[in-house]
Amino acid sequence: MGPGARGQGTGDTATPPKPLTPDPGPRRFLAIRETIPSWMSWVLGVIPILVLLLVWVVMTAGGEAEKRIISPTILPSPFEVVGSFGSLWFDRALTRNLGISFGRVVLGFMVAFAVTFPLGVLMGAFTKVKAAFTPLSVFGAYLPIPTLVPLTMSLFGTGETQKVVFLALAFGIFLLPQTVAAVDAVDDIYLKTAYTLGAGPVQAVRKVLLAVSWPEIYQALRLGFGVGWSYILLAEMVDIGKGLGGIIIISQRRGPREHIYLVLLIIVVMAFLTDKLWVIVGRRLFPYREARR
Amino acid sequence: MASNPPAKVGPTALGKIVLILFVLACIAGAAYYFRDMIAPKGNQAAKQIDIGAFQQQQGKVEAPDTKGVTTVNEYTYVPAEKLPPVKGVSGYKWDAGEKVVQFPINVWIGWLPIVAANHGFSPNTDSIFFKEYGFKVNLKLIDDPVTARDAFAAGESQILWGTLDMMVLFAPELMRDSRTAPRIYQQVDWSNGGDGIVVRGNIHSVKDLKGKTIVYAQNSPSQYFINNLLLASGMQPSSVNHKYTATAFEAAAAFVSDKRIDACVSWAPDIYSIPEKVTGTRILTTTSEANKLIADVWAARADFAKDHPEVIKGLVAGIFKGMEKLTDPTFKSQAFQWMAEGYGMQVDEVKGMANDAHSTNFAENRSFFLNANDPANFERTWKNTTFVYRELGLVGTPVRFDEVMDFSVIKQLESDGTFKNQQDTYRTTFAPTTYKKVTAEAPIVTQTIRINFYPNSSNIYEPQHDDIGSAIANTLYDPTVEATLEKVARLAGQYERAVIAVVGHSDSSMKGKGTRYEDVKQLSLDRANSVKQALVKKFKFDPNKFIIEGKAWDEPADPDDPMNQALNRRVEISVYPPEAK
Repeated sequence: MGPGARGQGTGDTATPPKPLTPDPGPRRFLAIRETIPSWMSWVLGVIPILVLLLVWVVMTAGGEAEKRIISPTILPSPFEVVGSFGSLWFDRALTRNLGISFGRVVLGFMVAFAVTFPLGVLMGAFTKVKAAFTPLSVFGAYLPIPTLVPLTMSLFGTGETQKVVFLALAFGIFLLPQTVAAVDAVDDIYLKTAYTLGAGPVQAVRKVLLAVSWPEIYQALRLGFGVGWSYILLAEMVDIGKGLGGIIIISQRRGPREHIYLVLLIIVVMAFLTDKLWVIVGRRLFPYREARR
Repeated sequence: MASNPPAKVGPTALGKIVLILFVLACIAGAAYYFRDMIAPKGNQAAKQIDIGAFQQQQGKVEAPDTKGVTTVNEYTYVPAEKLPPVKGVSGYKWDAGEKVVQFPINVWIGWLPIVAANHGFSPNTDSIFFKEYGFKVNLKLIDDPVTARDAFAAGESQILWGTLDMMVLFAPELMRDSRTAPRIYQQVDWSNGGDGIVVRGNIHSVKDLKGKTIVYAQNSPSQYFINNLLLASGMQPSSVNHKYTATAFEAAAAFVSDKRIDACVSWAPDIYSIPEKVTGTRILTTTSEANKLIADVWAARADFAKDHPEVIKGLVAGIFKGMEKLTDPTFKSQAFQWMAEGYGMQVDEVKGMANDAHSTNFAENRSFFLNANDPANFERTWKNTTFVYRELGLVGTPVRFDEVMDFSVIKQLESDGTFKNQQDTYRTTFAPTTYKKVTAEAPIVTQTIRINFYPNSSNIYEPQHDDIGSAIANTLYDPTVEATLEKVARLAGQYERAVIAVVGHSDSSMKGKGTRYEDVKQLSLDRANSVKQALVKKFKFDPNKFIIEGKAWDEPADPDDPMNQALNRRVEISVYPPEAK
């Protein structure tokens, strides 16, 4: 995770227009909601990563396996992990597998969006629809998703469909309540104004609820996109072989151990980059949102 | 048309498009040129396996030995000389006061002797291990082999459960640290009907799997089972479409739900319940025929074994005692009860698994570990697995069998004489039968071997001849004959319970040249018989296990190329299911 990848979640704003900061009072090391320069947020973000790396180096230091605090049969050293990049890239076709996994995540996400978006908006807008679907949505949130693997397999076979559907379920369970909450959060005053101006229910949904909640929905989508990566291992348990999940599962059995950690690092980097992409696109789509904050 | 537009600098719109296209084309071209660098295919892409190498490699267990063997050939080396030495400070958890061995097991009836010896799963003072050897054993259900392996590597458990073929995959990584190197002291059981292959439609033989889709759990005994069969029948594993699941249960479920899958390798009870429930499916083969293919063992951490040899000996002996005590039916039903409690299953479910495995007693372990001529011993099982997995690109640098196999405890128990009353009764006796009767059904697998016979000779150990036709001492006309026999012996050993047909074929070079057909037929029969006799002599097979037949020149190897005489001179080895099912 790069510096502040998640931390920027609520304020994608490197340089927001000067907010009305309360008087900070006497300068102290930790002040509530102080503004810090961007270089400092980078530095502060890098420090824990360096500490973590240092711990890793120390725990796995020493040439001989027997002299290390943690044996390489459990955790190889960071140097060994990085050193196995070549074999991961060439022998195990990293880029192809990465592409396959990424494609599955994107497809699953799109399917989930296609279902949860209309449903979520309707639930947010119409109380009766909400009443009908809330129990299912709550049930889904508590569902241990791994148990769905065999079920999706018996319904959708062992091919791509199963993986995409499984990921779509994982995405959908996350996205639905978020979408509802985004629509819910639209202030009544906008609706009232619209009614006063003679808007019908369709217009109220389209022009008011949807229009106002779009940035929030987008934010939910952005956070939700990460969910898929945490389930990629489960999705790729059936018909193992292609994809990053497959690499991890196979490396757990027969090594090399390094590839497990390397793939984890790569997933983190991927998550960071895609998140940045979401932020950049978001800025273009909703420039007013930045001003509002 | 405006009077004075600001002079445009730079390319026109069209120019820009052309420029962009050009740059994109350059990038695409570069990407295509370097495609193997940017997106390499990986080394697991379907590669052709040299079946010939399979045959050669299989023979490399020992140097050609033309003398033949009449007595049991035992290993004479000292295991400690071959096992990797343990370095550093031991890294496992151990309370010297409590002395509890952490022993994970999965759901498998084969562990029953251990449960019996331990009087249940939890450490207790009633167990054989405590009463006779002064330590306790904690049996833990860890069904996932990866979790079990990680607990072993982290020192949380001193013991690792697994099949010998799984150990082949685990060993290279675990041996990076000399303390977690696995040491195998005992075989607990043979899978005896617990693993099997279920097929759809009209697949009657392994050969019929060509071009079909098969699903199984990767890196599991299932993978070894099917790929060993494919290689034995001379098929490229890539000629079958493999689909992988994480567990055998999922493989069975995938087979049932997806009609496009033609076969699955799975475990009991699924392999027996699928043909009952799903129409059009049948069992191709199970480990009740290939009853010496999949061996269940346990391994100890090398550092633990070094520090506590008395515990290792106690574990081995206690498990053998558990097997002895299980002959008492009352005690056995008590053991089922303990196992059911440990697994959280019904007693009837556990009893239903009773026939999936055959416990291997001291005498069988002795043969497995020490008898170099046992066609299904540790060494051959290990080497065969290593070969299959290496050909599939699954193991890089293989581990030698004597780096993990430690027969020192079995030797000690032998000199103690503790279990000398235990006999090897797991040997099938075959009633004499005929070729016609045996071949009424399709063979499970057919292996074609080639022995270069000296013209008109049926002696497989025929020496080379000089120019005037006299034999040259200490030479072999076919120097690879031992390797070829070894290959047959392994398959016949794995399929201990099956009947093997040995069919000799001759070439048709003398057809229509005054040669009597009867003589040719006799020659092909003699050749089949000499293969059979060599196998019986060296590997102590029951002679009735082999049915011989001579086919003369009736069946060319390749019907499309009947005059390919080099191909035609051959012996075919076919494995048939035992008659009484």
